[in-house]
Amino acid sequence: MNERQDDARDEALERRARELFDASVDALDAESRSRLARARRAAVTELESGRRPAWQWWVPATVAASAALVAVLVWRAPEEAAPAVAQSVNGDAVDAFELVAAGEDLDLVAEDLAFYEWLDVAAPEETTGRGSTT
Amino acid sequence: MTLDRFLAGVERRAFRIAQMALRDRDDALDVVQGAMFRLARSYGGRPSEEWSALFFRILYNGIRDAQRRRSVRSRIFGWLPGNRTDDDDEGDPLERIAGGGPEPDRQLMTDEAMQRLESALAGLPARQQQAFVLRCLQGMDVAETAKAMSCSEGSVKTHYFRALQALRAQLAEVW
Repeated sequence: MNERQDDARDEALERRARELFDASVDALDAESRSRLARARRAAVTELESGRRPAWQWWVPATVAASAALVAVLVWRAPEEAAPAVAQSVNGDAVDAFELVAAGEDLDLVAEDLAFYEWLDVAAPEETTGRGSTT
Repeated sequence: MTLDRFLAGVERRAFRIAQMALRDRDDALDVVQGAMFRLARSYGGRPSEEWSALFFRILYNGIRDAQRRRSVRSRIFGWLPGNRTDDDDEGDPLERIAGGGPEPDRQLMTDEAMQRLESALAGLPARQQQAFVLRCLQGMDVAETAKAMSCSEGSVKTHYFRALQALRAQLAEVW
């Protein structure tokens, strides 16, 4: 009996609360309604700007794929594909790669390095010596 | 359903929910606006049936953040004059209803009853408030409310039952 009364009172309370809330929503002032509508439009615009048409995704993808292809061609066949570009952009890297690949030249390079190291040490001494004589 | 249509259907109710929790119109508008953007940006591509639970979850996160910010602000600036909320700025109730609408007496009674409901809700623990607002005022079912509250359906039922008990104790006599 009490439980049934409680249920009935709960239902009445829920109904009354809903009515009051709905009335307060309907009575919203014009400025608040206008600001909410503006916020909604801005949010929808945000969504639309985030969704690009399919062709807009293809353009950057195609450009990126082309750039990757050119890079591979330049790297794999520098003389044939674009010798000038290969020499200016990748010249040092290609030289180093070729030196390492050709094992028989390494001794020569080591000799050269020893020579340049000697030159580096000897040159200042020579300069100093010459300076001291004058 | 388009996002525009969905938001148009919930924006005023969401605003009133935020306003009841924050008791400040500008803060409530900011929170609703933030929830709209977040839904559009992060979940706009999801099926529209999921939007309602997601939107109200985002909304309540926004309300909680705003309450935290306000709490920090009031601790820092609480001693300064000029801190105000809508509670301080309601003015003359007769003046507010003078602009038209239903009969003034009835409007005044409705306003007072709504204020009592808001005060009673404000006295409830946050999860009970949320369960009552989403289930009763927003009309969500238990499963959707559970998604919006990130909890089990059993928890929703418990929170809702306790909220009803507390509100009945406070409001049954005056309504």
